Amino acid sequence: MFVIVVGGGKVGYYLTKELVQSGHEVVLMEKDSLRASQIGDEIGSIVVPHDGCEGRYLAKAGANRADIVAAVTGDDEDNLVICQMAKHHFAVPRTIARVNNPKNEVLFRHLGVDEQISPTRMILGSIEENIPVHELLHLAVVGGGELDLIEAQLREDSPAVGQNASALTLPDGCVLFAVIRNEVPLAIRADTLLQAGDKVLGIGRTECEEELQRVLLGEASPD
Amino acid sequence: MPELLKPTFRRAVVAVNGSPTDERVVRLVSELARPAKAEVVAVHVVEIDWTMPLDADIAERSEEAQRVLDTAEAVAEQHNYRLEGVLLQARDVGAALVDEAAERQADVLVLGLPYRTRFGGEFAIGRAIPYCFKNAPCTVWVVRDAIPEEPR
Repeated sequence: MFVIVVGGGKVGYYLTKELVQSGHEVVLMEKDSLRASQIGDEIGSIVVPHDGCEGRYLAKAGANRADIVAAVTGDDEDNLVICQMAKHHFAVPRTIARVNNPKNEVLFRHLGVDEQISPTRMILGSIEENIPVHELLHLAVVGGGELDLIEAQLREDSPAVGQNASALTLPDGCVLFAVIRNEVPLAIRADTLLQAGDKVLGIGRTECEEELQRVLLGEASPD
Repeated sequence: MPELLKPTFRRAVVAVNGSPTDERVVRLVSELARPAKAEVVAVHVVEIDWTMPLDADIAERSEEAQRVLDTAEAVAEQHNYRLEGVLLQARDVGAALVDEAAERQADVLVLGLPYRTRFGGEFAIGRAIPYCFKNAPCTVWVVRDAIPEEPR
C-alpha cells in the first residue's frame, strides 16, 4: 500500500517508521527543511521537504497513485486542506486526518474526510472510562466516520432506569446492543430492564447523539 | 604519479550519469585499478519520482541509460580495463549509490562533479555528493571538472 504521511512531527515520524517496517511504501512530507533533513537522515530518502498543503507538492509526492493520505500535522486547518485536496483533486481513496480540537470532528466529517483521529478525544475517553460521567462516552468511530460507538452509564435519576429496552424511543439510526451489569456483558433484548449502574452500549449516527443522551441520561448539563 | 602515492583499492563503485565528466572519472579509476586488478563497477541510477512506483517500466529511458553504461565500458576498454555496468532505479541517487557501495563492500565510491554555479554565482554541488560524503561507509572521491574559461 502506498501511503503519504503529511507532517513530520512525532506522530508523523513514528507513523512513517511503523509503516515502513510493516513493508508499506511511504512518503513523508515535512515543510520544515531542517526537520525533513533530520528525518531523512534517520529513515532514508522517503522525505519530501515541502508543504503538503500545496497541490503541486502533493503531486510531487505521488498523490496521484496514493492509496491513503494521512494528514497528521499539529494544525487542524492544514490537515483539512490536505485531506480535501487529496480527496477531490487527486481522488485518493482514503484520507485520514488528525483532529487536534475535537470540536472540529464534525466539520471534517461534513467536508468529506474519511476518517478523523482525535487524540484529545481518545484521552478524554480513557479518562472518562473510569469516572462516572453524565454524558455519553465515545468509545470509537466506526463505519468510515459516520457512526459512533457509545457508552452510557445509567444513574439513579436517568430516565431509562426502570424501563424495558423496548419502551425506549430511540432516534432513527441508533441501536442499543449490550449492557454491562456488574462487569458482565449482556445482550439487550426487548424485555431487558435497565437498572442504575448499567453501562449501556450502542451505536448510532453522530447527529443522533443529543437525542440519545436525552433518552438514556436526561438533558445534558449546560456546560 | 609516483608508485607510493597511487591509491589502492580492491573494489570501486563509480557513479556515471552521462555527463562529459564520466569519461574523466572512468579513465582515472581504470588507470588506478589496473595495478591491483581491482574490480570496478560503474553504476548509473535512474531516479524515479514518487508519481510512479519504483518498479515502473522505464523502457523509454532504458535506452539512454544503457548508452551511459556502454559509454563507460567503452572508455574503460580504451584504457585496457573492463568494468561491470549496473543500472539501478531509485528514488534518490545519493542513497542508491551509498547502498550499492555498501552492498558490494566497495573500498571507494567515485563521483564526478561538473563545475556549475547557481544563479548568483554560488557553486552548486548538488544533493548526491553531500549525501555520499555523509553516509558512504567507504572512502569517497569526487573528481571535479576544471572551471570553464570565461567566454571572451
